[in-house]
Amino acid sequence: MKNPYLPLPMRIEKITVETGDKSLKTFSLGFVREEDQRRFSFVPGQFAEVGIFGKGEAPFGIASSPMDTTRVEFTVYKVPGGTVTTALHEACVGYVVGMRGPYGNGFPLGAMQGCDILIIGGGFAFTTLRSLVNYMLHSDNRARFGRIQIIYGAREPGLLLYKEELAEWQQRNDLALTLTVDRCTPADGWTGCVGVVPKVLQEARPPAANTYTVVCGPPVMIRFTLPVLQELGFGPERILLSLEMKMKCGIGVCGRCNIGHKYVCKDGPVFSLAELSQLPSEY
Amino acid sequence: MRQAARRLLEENTVNLVIGYAWGTLPLRTAPFFARTPAEADRLVYNSLCENNLVKYLLRYSKEKLGLVVKGCDARSLVVLLRENQVQRDRVHIIGVPCTGVIDRRKVMELVDGQEVTGAEVTVEGIVVRGEGFEKDIKTDEVLCVSCRGCKYGTPVLYDTLVGEEVRAREENFGDIRAFEALPPSEREAYFAQEMAKCIRCYACRNVCPLCYCTECFVDSSRPQWLSRRPATADNFFFHLGRAYHLAGRCVDCGACARACPVGVDLMKLNRKLIKDAKDLFGYEAGLDPGQPSLLSTFDPNDPERFILGG
Amino acid sequence: MIIRKAAVAKFLDGLLKEYAVYIPRRREGYSEYTPLDPGSGYFWQGLNTQKPPKELLFPHGETLYSYRLRSDGVELRTHFDEEKRVLFGIRPCDAKGFCYLDRVFTRQDYQDVYYQTRRNNTVLIGLACLAPTTTCFCTSLGGGPFDTEGLDLLWVDLGERYAVRVLAPKGEALIKGRPEFVPAGEADWQAVRELEGGALGKMAPVLDLSGLKKRLDENYSDSVWDRVFEKCIGCAACTYLCPTCHCFDLSYEVEGSQGLCVRTWDSCAFPLFTLHASGHNPRPTGKERFRQRVMHKFRYFVENWGVMSCVGCGRCIIHCPVNLDIRDVLRQIIAGVSA
Repeated sequence: MKNPYLPLPMRIEKITVETGDKSLKTFSLGFVREEDQRRFSFVPGQFAEVGIFGKGEAPFGIASSPMDTTRVEFTVYKVPGGTVTTALHEACVGYVVGMRGPYGNGFPLGAMQGCDILIIGGGFAFTTLRSLVNYMLHSDNRARFGRIQIIYGAREPGLLLYKEELAEWQQRNDLALTLTVDRCTPADGWTGCVGVVPKVLQEARPPAANTYTVVCGPPVMIRFTLPVLQELGFGPERILLSLEMKMKCGIGVCGRCNIGHKYVCKDGPVFSLAELSQLPSEY
Repeated sequence: MRQAARRLLEENTVNLVIGYAWGTLPLRTAPFFARTPAEADRLVYNSLCENNLVKYLLRYSKEKLGLVVKGCDARSLVVLLRENQVQRDRVHIIGVPCTGVIDRRKVMELVDGQEVTGAEVTVEGIVVRGEGFEKDIKTDEVLCVSCRGCKYGTPVLYDTLVGEEVRAREENFGDIRAFEALPPSEREAYFAQEMAKCIRCYACRNVCPLCYCTECFVDSSRPQWLSRRPATADNFFFHLGRAYHLAGRCVDCGACARACPVGVDLMKLNRKLIKDAKDLFGYEAGLDPGQPSLLSTFDPNDPERFILGG
Repeated sequence: MIIRKAAVAKFLDGLLKEYAVYIPRRREGYSEYTPLDPGSGYFWQGLNTQKPPKELLFPHGETLYSYRLRSDGVELRTHFDEEKRVLFGIRPCDAKGFCYLDRVFTRQDYQDVYYQTRRNNTVLIGLACLAPTTTCFCTSLGGGPFDTEGLDLLWVDLGERYAVRVLAPKGEALIKGRPEFVPAGEADWQAVRELEGGALGKMAPVLDLSGLKKRLDENYSDSVWDRVFEKCIGCAACTYLCPTCHCFDLSYEVEGSQGLCVRTWDSCAFPLFTLHASGHNPRPTGKERFRQRVMHKFRYFVENWGVMSCVGCGRCIIHCPVNLDIRDVLRQIIAGVSA
């Protein structure tokens, strides 16, 4: 019987400081045991419980692509006063952490196949979106998806994640990437868009026909983005959101992450707007 | 009681009266929130009013409240006033002189753990009934330990007093004296037995008006002071920590002990500290909002018996 | 089968060769399940225990694994409780409670190996409830004082003897070949039926919950929730004494470079239960938390499992420090008024 509470030992192989204020770091974890690596697979949008032994565990969306089977990446925001995120930020390369997962449903790749994909991300919620984009861009998969358009915004240029990768994506001709910031100073040397994500979306007017939209970002961005999408004709069944909740077990048993009868850890974290509208607004 | 509450609501002096109504079980009353004069007619007061309603004051920051308090409850309100947790002008205190609260568990013991299906409060006590028994119990037989030596049955602070003032009882720390006289091993064994029962539901903390910390030390995760599992030692740590945090503040209302779903004898700890505050410093909490708090005042003449040779 | 009361002590002692035996016990005004005193045959037959036997399968605190940090990584060790147990004298309501825990812990995508191990190693011997109390409402939730769900054996007190109904192979194995048991006659089963009728007759009138689920589907935003929780003080007495509540927390107990990962009961009544590290809390006040408790038991669980996760044992009613009576709450919800 597989023990869902027992973490896999994972070694921190690389730490990338993502933002100027050092509040976000990406941890690249390698498998300590080869058999774990062979058995581990996931779909974009799934998460794992990452833990520092003796401190605690917390759920993080997997930020690397499932096509890369050698490592698993997580981008972690250091929450002020947060036990686990603080301990993770203090950890060094070589340190062994625990990982349980993957958990949750992930993005509905089957349904999304053959469709155009619109990705709307804000701030440090871009993690599982990065996993999704890299998955779709992989040469084995690219043909299965239509047009890919990405709108990604942050408060200021320094807070955009995965800057090197974003630069690579901008060079590609099989995806349209719009980066935007809420504000910038001349010192930033920013040449991209300035404006909040909903406004940029409104101006871009992406076509809704045969398109799945994935929206991940801070609550305020989501609140103002959804009406724009509706106005542009996107149906609630094809607007996908990924929810965050306090979680412990990750397998729908410990009882704290439910919204109505759905457990975010087990039935989510990805829900369509149509599904969410059937649930109590308790999140 | 009903008249007083009704008038306060009718005249808009307050928009909510927190008092007691009959509960759904024999021997039980329950906190009741009356917002209309009609609801005020459901209020009751008797020796079964075991909760300390002052706790609810902390929850309502907007309403002007009427609050029913017994003598001990009033003292806990005084401590809250003293600690600037409550604005005096926001609460209309309906004081009820109290002759003591009945301890349900003692009643249960007297009927040998059988179910009580009916109870009637009489002048001298209580009549309880169950399958095949009826028992007339005098109040004094089943009084809470805190009530037996209560000197402040009449609230020390009120806006309206409902009923006649009651005579002060003679201070009685007999239970604590007897316990102090036991050899340490027996005291330890007693606490081990009591603490093993605790299920860490925190009913004691949550009913206590003086437990108002935004984050209780037991819930802290940085650092995590004690294990989340209810091992006897960790339970004891919780109750000791709580008792010490209440030292010089606890007014001996006994609400925590009555709230405990598994009957942990919490008053052994609390009353020991109350007795020490009285014996060592002549201090009784919750008598006057202007009174300085025991542990934030220093007097060169304080006894220092706890220091070797002090 | 039939066993004389005088032979019960011998039977229970005999079980000790293979099993740890737990019995209901009352002492110092407090009742719970504790190990059998060999030779005594004692078990408490009065009111249902204050604390349910839940913790014998789902302990209040248990070690899931230990870890030891080493220079080259970490060493993990799992801890399973494999004690073979007999729970003797448990009430049908409490046995039914285990069936709810079974659903949550063993019938999902992931098996809870800790619970499953204990469950597999446990035999449940029930004792029919001859004198339901006024707070019992099992019959309102599909149970009954002689209900057999989840039990391996059901014993019925016939005065000088017990009639024993064999319900599952685990129960059969326990008494097979034991000389204390003799076959029961038709008169014995007739006596059992009469006692069952008598017990049912003592039950409080059935609470009609047929409209409850539909009301809860519709009343999430109803004003009834503004008032119904009001006296709740947010402790965990109801959840911790509930035979079906299963929520838990995971935490570490640390000693230097080693420690334990422990699972402990947790409660939806506590604000910290859902408080995000960011400070956001989706259930910020007692109102949302109490609504969650009611919704989970009587609506969400029904949607996920087809049954209400309450067995009507009445513990939350008896032991609530402020007499917040779940029957009363359900009545108010069904009536759709706040009182």
